[in-house]
Amino acid sequence: MSTDTQLTDWRDKALQFEQQINQTVIGLQPAVRNIILAVFARGHVLLEGNVGVGKTTLLRAVAQGLGGDYQRIEGTIDLMPADLIYYTYLNDQGRPCVDPGPLLKHGDTLATFFFNEINRARPQVHALLLRAMAERSINAFNRDYYFPHIQVFADRNRVEKEETFELPAAAKDRFMMEINIDMPSADTVLDELMFNPRFHDTDQLIRGVTNSDIYYQLNELAQTLQQLIQTSPKLHTYALTLWKATHQPQLYGIQLADVEMPQLLMAGASPRGMSYLIRAAKTRAWLERRDHVLPEDLQAVFPVCMTHRLFLNPMYAYRKEQLLPELIKGILNQVAAP
Amino acid sequence: MRIVLILAFSLLGCSGLIDEPITYFNVETPRPFGYVNGDEIPARIIIETRSGITLQTGSLPAKGQINRWLNLNEVTVKQSGQRYEIDLRYQVFYAPLEVKSLTLPSFTVQLSQGEKNINQNVPAWSFTLSPLRELVVRQTEQGEYMRPDSPPILLANTLAMYGMTASLTLASLITVYLSFLYGLFPAQLRRTLFKRALRQLAGLSKADMEQALTIVHNALNSLNGQSLFHNGLSQFYLLNPQYLQINSQLDWFFNYSNRYFFSAGMITVAQDLQQIKELCEQCRKIERGSL
Repeated sequence: MSTDTQLTDWRDKALQFEQQINQTVIGLQPAVRNIILAVFARGHVLLEGNVGVGKTTLLRAVAQGLGGDYQRIEGTIDLMPADLIYYTYLNDQGRPCVDPGPLLKHGDTLATFFFNEINRARPQVHALLLRAMAERSINAFNRDYYFPHIQVFADRNRVEKEETFELPAAAKDRFMMEINIDMPSADTVLDELMFNPRFHDTDQLIRGVTNSDIYYQLNELAQTLQQLIQTSPKLHTYALTLWKATHQPQLYGIQLADVEMPQLLMAGASPRGMSYLIRAAKTRAWLERRDHVLPEDLQAVFPVCMTHRLFLNPMYAYRKEQLLPELIKGILNQVAAP
Repeated sequence: MRIVLILAFSLLGCSGLIDEPITYFNVETPRPFGYVNGDEIPARIIIETRSGITLQTGSLPAKGQINRWLNLNEVTVKQSGQRYEIDLRYQVFYAPLEVKSLTLPSFTVQLSQGEKNINQNVPAWSFTLSPLRELVVRQTEQGEYMRPDSPPILLANTLAMYGMTASLTLASLITVYLSFLYGLFPAQLRRTLFKRALRQLAGLSKADMEQALTIVHNALNSLNGQSLFHNGLSQFYLLNPQYLQINSQLDWFFNYSNRYFFSAGMITVAQDLQQIKELCEQCRKIERGSL
């Protein structure tokens, strides 16, 4: 089978998978599309949203649909890095035992690692995750453990700020996307969510997702896909301009209300962030049945890939909910492709 | 005969010394009375010398303030042969309460003969200065006794004003006309986007496809006020509904541009450039309101 045919087959599978998730978690199509992009671009995902809007359900559905060994942990204030690596207990005979924790339990077949309420965990835990996410390995029991297939899904709610720890910039940067989950707005969807008993029992809902068992082939697919989807020199220029605009937006004619533009940003996008952006854009081009990336692919993934990588000056940080989306929109509107 | 000789010797004795350096010296002063505060007082000093003697002009009093109440406004020296006419013009600034006698100070004029200096004293000169008014300012029935001078009559400047207004008007008219010619009016800029684009497209050939596409993209971006992409067309039509009638052409243009710029192996033909020019012409017609 030629590589092109393989890619076409895979695309059909991906779209089918997307459709299935959309049927399980309704009204979140844009978020589902972004998660699919992140999965096929092999990037970690951070979900943010209000309480009860379906973040966890969405991630569980995706994990169930992809197959692979799944682990989940709840972030709490007293969670320590060791809790991810091992746990100790007394067995039936009353003897103390040490067993591998959630990260090590499945060894190198660990697939989806779901970190619920990540901002409730302490920075020590974030630090452990940094390595697990970036290098797909950790050191424990005097040796390195490798997780070639690990994909971290994390979520946090944006309602509470008490007893939470802001994710450090380095940890945020390791997530390919930060996806905001907003409540569905269409009345029919809301009605469905309220009255259809199918959505009342999430466990049953998740069980309804067919396990496609495609997970362990994703790394190879992503590699092929990244090699085959073309980017033209003009697109390189466009991406470079976008990148520069995240550092010095004022040079590209971007002006936000009541903001001294040169003082707005403390840090723009990182090289890692830009490489994630291109990976996601290539994956989108593939899903859109193209063999080349268009500016619209970059534009589609730019907000989710970039918003959490831009750090505002403390002076403007309290307005970040308003300023960052405006800045991203301004950059996309001002930078011309050809 | 003896008497004649005695008379002749006596006359010799009467005449001055033959080697006197200054042969004539006189200070001509005006009347020594009737001056008031602010008056100028001229004085002329006439000196005649033997030949070979020169006046040291540096020894004359310097122009400027001499003392608290006296200024020397002008010093001119006229020389004709060995005769010097030194004109001094003093001005008095003194407000006496009653008639007062004042003195122009004396000074010494120096003349030189080779290395030898000859001094000639110019004596002090006294004059009287009168007050301008009575000691006590009085009120009269007609009004103030003291009153300001009438304001000076202004020079007529109407002609200059007319001239300036006319030239300013002319200059602004020319500026407006030039801005119009260069298409600098914002509204006009938006209405001549495709006119200018067409002009730029005119000389391009198939080989300049990139430039041609960029020109049309720029025009569309300027019209849209921000970068316009294929996926932004629906929003663009909402703002510029008149362009909806060339929807298919715009659609073709964006697809073509995407393929040209972002995919490999695109072959351009002359027909494509023609189609881009036609699109631009259609846009120009919409811009002019004739479509």
